[in-house]
Amino acid sequence: MILIKCPYCGERDQSEFANGGEAHVIRPKNPESLSDKDWGEYVFYRNNPKGIFYERWVHSHGCKKWFNAVRNTSTDQILKVYKVNEKRPDLSDFENTLKSPSGEPLVGSGNFAVKK
Amino acid sequence: MSAINNNCEYISKKQIEITFDGKTYKAYEGDTIASALLRNNIRLVGRSFKYHRPRGIYTCGIEEPNALVQIISEHNEPNTRATIKRVYDGIEITSQNRWPSLTYDFGAINNILSPIFSAGFYYKTFMGPKGFWKNLYEPLIRRSAGLGKPPKNFRSKSTHQYHNNDVVIIGAGLSGLAAAKKFINTKYKVLLIEQDSYLGGVLKNSNKVKTINDLTPRKWISETEKLILNSKNITILKNTLVTTYNFTNHLIALEDKFAGKKIELNKSELTLHKIRTSNTIIANGHIERFISFRNNDLPGVMLASSFEKYIHRYGVVPEKEPVIFTNNSSSLSLLKKLISLGCKPNAYVDSRKKDNIETEIKKILKDNEISFFSDAEIEGCDGNKKVETITIRQGKSFKKLQSSMLCVSGGYNPDIHLFTQSKGLVKWDKNILSFKPDTPFQKTITLGSTSGNYNFKKLCDEINEKLSIFKTKKVSLDINLNVPNKFSITELWETKKKNNSNWSKSFVDLHNDVTTKDLKQAITEGFDRIEHLKRYTTNSMGTDQGKISSINSLAIVSKMLKKEISEVGTTTYRPPYAPLSFAAIAGRSTYEFYDPERKTSIHSWHLKNNAVFENVGQWKRPWYFKASENETMHQAVQRESKMLRENAGILDGSTLGKIEIKGRDALEFMNLMYTNAFSKMKPMTSRYAMMLGEDGMIKDDGIICKISDQHFIATTTSSGAPKVLADMEEYLQTEWPHLQVFLNSITEQFSTFNISGPKTREIMMKVFPDIDFSNDAFPFMTFKNFDYKKTKIRIMRASFTGELGYEIYVPPKFGLELWQEIFSCGKEYNLIPYGTETMHLLRAEKGYIVIGQETDGTVTPIDLNYNWMIGKNKKDFIGKRSLTRPDTSREDRKQLVGLLPINKKDIIEEGQHIVELNELPKKITNPIKYLGHVSSGYHSPNLNHSIGLAMIKGGKNLFGQKFFVTATGKTKNIPVEIVNPVFIDPENKRLTS
Ligand SMILES: [Zn+2]
Repeated sequence: MILIKCPYCGERDQSEFANGGEAHVIRPKNPESLSDKDWGEYVFYRNNPKGIFYERWVHSHGCKKWFNAVRNTSTDQILKVYKVNEKRPDLSDFENTLKSPSGEPLVGSGNFAVKK
Repeated sequence: MSAINNNCEYISKKQIEITFDGKTYKAYEGDTIASALLRNNIRLVGRSFKYHRPRGIYTCGIEEPNALVQIISEHNEPNTRATIKRVYDGIEITSQNRWPSLTYDFGAINNILSPIFSAGFYYKTFMGPKGFWKNLYEPLIRRSAGLGKPPKNFRSKSTHQYHNNDVVIIGAGLSGLAAAKKFINTKYKVLLIEQDSYLGGVLKNSNKVKTINDLTPRKWISETEKLILNSKNITILKNTLVTTYNFTNHLIALEDKFAGKKIELNKSELTLHKIRTSNTIIANGHIERFISFRNNDLPGVMLASSFEKYIHRYGVVPEKEPVIFTNNSSSLSLLKKLISLGCKPNAYVDSRKKDNIETEIKKILKDNEISFFSDAEIEGCDGNKKVETITIRQGKSFKKLQSSMLCVSGGYNPDIHLFTQSKGLVKWDKNILSFKPDTPFQKTITLGSTSGNYNFKKLCDEINEKLSIFKTKKVSLDINLNVPNKFSITELWETKKKNNSNWSKSFVDLHNDVTTKDLKQAITEGFDRIEHLKRYTTNSMGTDQGKISSINSLAIVSKMLKKEISEVGTTTYRPPYAPLSFAAIAGRSTYEFYDPERKTSIHSWHLKNNAVFENVGQWKRPWYFKASENETMHQAVQRESKMLRENAGILDGSTLGKIEIKGRDALEFMNLMYTNAFSKMKPMTSRYAMMLGEDGMIKDDGIICKISDQHFIATTTSSGAPKVLADMEEYLQTEWPHLQVFLNSITEQFSTFNISGPKTREIMMKVFPDIDFSNDAFPFMTFKNFDYKKTKIRIMRASFTGELGYEIYVPPKFGLELWQEIFSCGKEYNLIPYGTETMHLLRAEKGYIVIGQETDGTVTPIDLNYNWMIGKNKKDFIGKRSLTRPDTSREDRKQLVGLLPINKKDIIEEGQHIVELNELPKKITNPIKYLGHVSSGYHSPNLNHSIGLAMIKGGKNLFGQKFFVTATGKTKNIPVEIVNPVFIDPENKRLTS
């Protein structure tokens, strides 16, 4: 159970929130002008990286506001939260949390329990 | 063999009676089941998981792998650790996993059959023939392998409690208390959690510390406790075990509210503490490990520090003349204690070389003439259901001793369980031959033996240094010891067997009956990765998670693989640290508290009128009304359906979701959310509408009432309302923040009645004499607001039955009154109440769909032939683009059709398949071509035969054709004709006249 900081209410328990998948996927302005492939990508395809992920959350048992968060999916650390209308933070801001080529940090991912 | 009592300040002098396997024994208040049984010289307490081998009490704490019992007097609580559970007068206990009795256990034959139960036996032995697993092997294994029996008709009485802290200290032993002392009267909000009912840890459980700051350990504990209790910022939780260490310093701890007391009815037995803290200090000590030797599981073999704990903590010396077997320096305190009590160990066997053994130990052994074997080991022990003889190997010679108890110490493991749960990294320490915490992932500090510091003299510095991040004063500890300052240990995991036999096993996991032989076999078979090996052998997968043995098996495996232990690694420790009962997790969320029940304002009337209820989401809805005691559901539904089409019926539709949509851009928003076009719709009219997902599939439906371009009311399905509201809100916030629209759930602001049937107009005119209900004044799909008595109501002309119908919206406060008024007016017209089942039947006759019945998330409006609902001229709405994707425009998609049985007596059942065969083959060899399924099937009382709605491939082009529907338990299929799915009034005359 992680702690999430709602940009409107402050730190709350994860159980108050719902996850909304990848952030910054914008609904096309003119769906009719899109090819089947492009529309299909918008509807069905989402990234699911190991490591830094920009995702949406909603404070569903609180203020009901949607917001965005940057989370390290291999450690569950939430590195930043920001409002829907705020600028997407740069990936380089979180580079120091990436420890290996696969995005696997040495501590916290649970895959390496023993220090060599 | 005999136990003696020792004076002990933690045990009361009050004698009580306990029952074990039907026999009554004397015990003291404060005893655990284990200490009480040892006091009565009971050594055999259970049978092992797989081989049904006789087992005794191995430890004195949470790490116990053997002594699991069932508490009959507490709703038959199974798998209770005898070493933890406190007794009280009248407690009733039985042993587990034995039949017919503990002494004569039939399942012990498994031990003789053990070659088939070796590593991976679940995977290998029971491969075939087909069907044998389900009918023979599984029931057999379930009966013969396992633990206790679950309680029946059990109602949990546990509660949950939440905490927010700056610091949580886990374990109130020497380190934990010293750390807590630093926080006395500081600004930090501290929670100190102790598993036992007394603080003190090693100070109370052992003879290791002589004095501390010139006080006896007991005195120092009580003075420190007093200081902590007087400090307002520190709370102590006793009898509480931290089981789980989650992300962001979230801890779960279980408190036993009735430790050592009889459970009182109507009081909470357990409290589950959910703790969020900024910093966690883990000081829960260490766990002694065993050594594998031949028959190291016989009752009478016990860990040395546990033996010491029984003397100190529970005042019972389990055996006056035990043999001590060790590979380290820690048993000195036990030796001293036994001598001081006038007991003389039978022998002291130390695997260390004579020169490495402390002079003090050698002197005590010599002075007291105790047989001393250095550079020696226990080859094994023998006996009938208990230790009788012990064989010592020293060099090439063997010595057999008569003794009933063997105290074993294979070294100490820092209790890193919680630290690894927190995702910290551990490191192998050659000095203590164990893993110890290294890099924390969260704000976690480990202290004392948990951190691998076995040197009491260095403890004070460690605490002051590690807690220097807090603004606290230094503590000082002047500790005088009964053990050597420096911990010394030599490597010994498994001793060599003299000869092999089936019965003689050398265990690495007592709980799951895993032997050293199993480990070797698994490695030979290629399971050389520790995580694979663990699962294949089930090693350390018991409810004790291998607390006394997992490091031993890692060491043995690393030796076999010729690798370093740090290379082999450790398996991941997972929460909970110790078994956590489901009752505790469930807390108060059971039975009627599991989920809120929502009831309409008419509920009391439904109850009085013999409604049978159906759960729809959280709502209680009348399913049907019983006209007489013996009326079946089928009879009631047939009666209600016929009566409604002949006269009139009324349904409590208050549960239907209602959402108010208001604002400058309400019209644009509605046009985007729903398939329908609302722009040309006149104010005060309504329309049946559909909401799709972006994939074009139907999500929900309902009637949209347009009050003006800036004001709509949408109804939703009863269970879909929260989701529809959330989806609308999501689009407004994330995709269209420029739209000025406000949403409000008004489901509970109105009671809603759906009245329909040919006599409806007469009834309505009688109830509301001032309103003109003529077709011209009040046409289909329009609505109006009226004053009614002291309130305002809204009436809409709409129908879900296909008959003339109205929907009445009234504030719930006036709901019941109006409902009763309608009934008194409707009496002369034979008005009946009806439930959801009749509603479903009537709408099926009319060919109306139900979300979740005809649709399943893969159905588009085009599949239902509802093209008329799609606002084709609208530029955009949610899901529109997907309706022209190649997949959604396929001709052979499953489409909605009606089914008529060709033989009018046949019954079309819901959920059956539609096939081309008139009869299914006796033996099915090839897949049968599947065309679709029956989504709704009813006997229509108005047509007097069965009807069906179905989703069938390419259905739109199949009208008039003959297919077959399968039937439950029959190979002969039912011939049906595919028809237009409207069975009653296809011209909508009844609806609109
Ligand atoms: Zn919030």
